[in-house]
Amino acid sequence: MKAALFACSILCFGLVWSTNALAQDSRPVYPANSNKANYSDLNKLPDWRGLWFPVIGKVGGTEPVLIGEAKKTWDIYQERLAKDPHYEIPEPANNCEPDGMPSLITFPYNLEFVFSPGKITFIQEALMQVRRIFTDGRPQPKREELDPNYFGYSSGKWEGETLVVTTIGTKAGQRLGIAGITNSDQLTITERIYLDPKDRDLLHLDFTFEDPKVLGQPWKRTHTFRRDRTWEQIEYICAQNNRHLIDANGQTITPKPK
Amino acid sequence: MKKFIVLMTSIAVLAAVSITALGHHSFALFDLTKKVTVKGVVAKIEWTNPHVWVYADVPQTDGPPVRWGIEYTSINHLTRLGMKSTTLKVGDTIEFTVNPYADGTPGGRFQVMKLPTGKYFCDVGAAQQFCEENNK
Repeated sequence: MKAALFACSILCFGLVWSTNALAQDSRPVYPANSNKANYSDLNKLPDWRGLWFPVIGKVGGTEPVLIGEAKKTWDIYQERLAKDPHYEIPEPANNCEPDGMPSLITFPYNLEFVFSPGKITFIQEALMQVRRIFTDGRPQPKREELDPNYFGYSSGKWEGETLVVTTIGTKAGQRLGIAGITNSDQLTITERIYLDPKDRDLLHLDFTFEDPKVLGQPWKRTHTFRRDRTWEQIEYICAQNNRHLIDANGQTITPKPK
Repeated sequence: MKKFIVLMTSIAVLAAVSITALGHHSFALFDLTKKVTVKGVVAKIEWTNPHVWVYADVPQTDGPPVRWGIEYTSINHLTRLGMKSTTLKVGDTIEFTVNPYADGTPGGRFQVMKLPTGKYFCDVGAAQQFCEENNK
């Protein structure tokens, strides 16, 4: 029996290894993962170290111009809220599921940015969400080539000290800006992220949302974050004790005392 | 006391405005227009995410104590406000102020507590103003 298991494990390992090797041979190696890395280039980038806490209440931008089904859905939610202040706009985050992009940015916790050659990693403390921005010049895939997911596919470039990021490929139905508005599969998110020229402990993140199925015109939202150099991120495991289950209609069930 | 009620009303308004911005789950199940203050004996502490829970047995004049479930914010916010897993201990008698559950379930969303030291500890956000004014 042991001999059979040993033989099987050797065979299985071989199959996995050869499959990986074949896949790697057929895929390009982009600069962020190449066998040469120039870490000295990172010194030319602005200093975004530390944790960045959102300045609550300091959100600017334009009003969303909703169209089609998005407008109808919004109106229905507002009507229900007017009739019942305890009505809850159904959202997946009620059940520890991440909101995805763009809401990853606006959780009332903090963001940490990790710079590496050709790649910037955003870590949101809430739900320990991770998002990668590719800055190595790799081609942006076409929308139809992507499997839509929570955070989408983000490519970025530096324009002076401003990081400009374009994200596509987020799955439809995620919160877009505020509860009650969700994106379609055609959403394009543009972010311009930069330190305040007068206060280097302030970071600005300006969104432009473009979604031809949801918005009649581009919608701009601006957010500000303040740097803290004293804290590190604290782990946040949402599944540890999530007592807010939701019913079939997306309404949170009142937890009973144990 | 009047000052406290006025402050709490303003907190409730702010909280209602920011419901959609706070993530994880809606606060629709709480009555944010109300504040209830009870004194109870801590029976259990769950120092967990996404939210910390404290259970307290609240004495009744006409029967056995009723267990209240008080939902705090996350470990992350509480830690940064100075609370630790050991700040409260089972057996402590604590005065809690909460937004009660809208359906009458005993308990609610934590706002303020008076610690055995006599100091107040307040929720993250607008409730902080109460601590700033009363912990001088």
